[in-house]
Amino acid sequence: MNKWSWLVLISACWFTVGFVMFDFNSAQNTQNTTLPNNVQRIVATAPNITEILFALGLEEKIVGVTIFSTFPPKAKEKPKIGTFWYPDIEAIIAAKPDLVVTSATEQQKTLGPRLERIGYYSLALKIKKIDDLFHAIDAIGSATAKQHQANLLIADIKENIARISNMVKNEKKIKVLYVVQRKPLRVAGRDTFINEMIEIAGGENAIGKTVQQYPPIGAEQIIISDVDVIIEPTMGQKNVAKLRDNAIEYWSRFKNISAVKNKRIYVVDDDTLSQLGPRVYEGIETIAHCLRPEVFGN
Amino acid sequence: MLQLLTVKKLVYRLIAALIVLAVVMVLCSLVGSQNISLKAAFSPSSQTGNINSDYEIFVHVRLSRIILAAIVGAALACSGVIFQALLRNPLADPYILGISSGAGLGAIIAVISGFSWTLWGRSPIAVFAFAGAIGTVWLVWSIGKVTGKSNVTGLLLAGVVVNAFFSAMIMFLTSIAKSSQVHATIFWLMGNMSEEKFEVLWFGGGITLAGIIALFYLSPQLNAISFGEKDAKSMGISTAKTQTIAFAIAASITAIAVSLSGLIGFVGLVIPHAIRLVFGPDHRQLLPLSAVFGAGFLVIADTLARIIVAPAQLPVGVVTAIIGGPFFLILLIKYTSKIGWAK
Repeated sequence: MNKWSWLVLISACWFTVGFVMFDFNSAQNTQNTTLPNNVQRIVATAPNITEILFALGLEEKIVGVTIFSTFPPKAKEKPKIGTFWYPDIEAIIAAKPDLVVTSATEQQKTLGPRLERIGYYSLALKIKKIDDLFHAIDAIGSATAKQHQANLLIADIKENIARISNMVKNEKKIKVLYVVQRKPLRVAGRDTFINEMIEIAGGENAIGKTVQQYPPIGAEQIIISDVDVIIEPTMGQKNVAKLRDNAIEYWSRFKNISAVKNKRIYVVDDDTLSQLGPRVYEGIETIAHCLRPEVFGN
Repeated sequence: MLQLLTVKKLVYRLIAALIVLAVVMVLCSLVGSQNISLKAAFSPSSQTGNINSDYEIFVHVRLSRIILAAIVGAALACSGVIFQALLRNPLADPYILGISSGAGLGAIIAVISGFSWTLWGRSPIAVFAFAGAIGTVWLVWSIGKVTGKSNVTGLLLAGVVVNAFFSAMIMFLTSIAKSSQVHATIFWLMGNMSEEKFEVLWFGGGITLAGIIALFYLSPQLNAISFGEKDAKSMGISTAKTQTIAFAIAASITAIAVSLSGLIGFVGLVIPHAIRLVFGPDHRQLLPLSAVFGAGFLVIADTLARIIVAPAQLPVGVVTAIIGGPFFLILLIKYTSKIGWAK
C-alpha cells in the first residue's frame, strides 16, 4: 500500500469512529422545551430584560446581567456576564443559573441553543415592537411564577400609553424625523418601535416606508418632506446642551424646512428610547414633550 | 539556509513544536474570565443539582474552544503556505482567491434569509459560508484556467476582481438589511470563535488533519514549483496535477475553517512567513511547522480575546492582527538582517 492509501484508510477509520461515538439522532433532540419549576437563579442577557425582571420584583433572584444594564440603579450591583453583543458563556455558567433569559435577536440567536446543549434552561424573547414587550413580560411572568405581577405591570404600561395617546387624540399629526446618525444621515424608519412611539405621541414619521429599518436618506428627501420637528437621541452622551447647539448648527443648512424655521430641534436622552422595556411610556412622553410642549410642558 | 534538512532534524523539530503546542493549550485552558478549580471540575462531590459548573466551563467551554482555535489556526497557516507557494506571491494568504468574500456573502445571505434549520448540527451561516467559499474558489479557478494554464497573474487578477465584486454584494446586502442582521454579519466577518460540539471538532479536525497530511505528501513537488513552473517541469514533475490537488485541498480546509469560525485574518499570512524566516523555505518542514505554530498562535490569540476585556470579549481577528503584526515585524528585522532577504 502506498502512503495515499494509508491516508484514505486512516481517515475512513477516523470518521467511522466519529459516527459510532456521536449518536447523531439523539444529539439533535437535546433541546429543553419545557422550563423548570421554581426558578431561583436568573441571568438576563439584555438591559431591557433586566429591567423587566426588576419590575416583576425578581431582584433577589437575578444572578447575572450585562455590563451596560444600568437601570434600575441596583442592576449595576449585580454580577456581570459580558455585553449584549458578546455574552460570556463562562460567566453565565459560573453564575449557576436555572434560567437564562436571552434576546431572540440575530446577535443572540445561537446563545440559547448553546446553553441548552450543556444542560441549561433558556427563554429567548423577541422584543421588537411594543406588542412583543407585553408578550415578553407575560412569558417571564409565567416562567417565574409572577403571573399576577406581570398582569399588573402590563396593565400599568397600557394605561400610561393610553393616557398619553388620549391627550393628543384629536390633534393634527406632527411630522417628525428621528435622526439616529448624521454622517451619513440615517433616521428611524416605519418598521421600528420608535415609529410606534412617535405615532402614540401624536406624531407621524416624516419618512415613508423604506426597505431598511433605519434608512439612510438624502438632503433632497428632507427638504421635500418639510419636517415639523427633528429629534436627535444623545446616544448615551451626557452634555445635552452642547449636543443641542451642535444639532442646531448642523440643521441650519436646511433653512427652508419648518423644523429649522421654528427652531423645533430637540436633543433627548435616549435611555428609554433605545430599548423597549417597562419604561416605554416614559420614552413616548419624551417624544410627546418635543411634539407638543404646550400640552406636555417643557 | 545552508544546512540541509534531514529526516532526523525534521522529526525532532516537529516533536518539539508539538510539545510547545500541548503546553500552550494546557496553559490557555487554565485561564478564563472565571476562576475555576480543576479539582472541583473532576470530583463528583462538587455537583450542585445535576450541574457541575466547573466541569462545564473547563470541558464544554474552554477545551472545546481551544481545540477549535487549534484546528482553525492549523488549517489557515497551512493553506497560507500553499497559496504562497503556488501563486509564488509573498502577499498571498488563504483568502486571496476570494474565499473571504464568497464565504462572507454566503453568511450574510443566510442571516438575511433568516433560516433556522440545521444540517448535521451546523447552522445555516456555517453551511452557506462553506458553500460560498468553495463556490468562489471554483469560479476563480475556472476563470484562471481560461486565462492560461501557466499564468498565475490571470488567477490572481480573477481572485481580486471576484473579491471586489462579492464585497460589493456584501455591502449592498448590508445596506438594505435590518440593523440587527447587519451587526450579526459584521461580527461574523470579524471572526467569531465560540465553543463547539465535540462531534463538530472531531469531523472538522479530522478533515483538516487529513488535508494537512496530504499537502505534506506534496511538499517535494511544491518545493520544485515554488522555484518556477518551468524548472519543475524540467525535473519531471506534473505541475498541473500537483497544483490542482494542492489548490483543492487548501481551499477545502480554508472553507472548513471559515465555516467554523468566520473570517480570521493574519494567521494564514504571517505564520508561514515567520516559519520561513526562522527555519527556511523547505516545504517538507514549512508545512508541518506552520500547522503546529498556526494552531498555537490562534489558541493564544483567542485566549487573549477571551480574557483581555473579560467578562466581555474581543473579536479574535482583532487580537491576531494586534499581536501578530509587531511580532512578525520583529522577526522580519532580526532574521533578514542576519541571513539577507535574497540569501
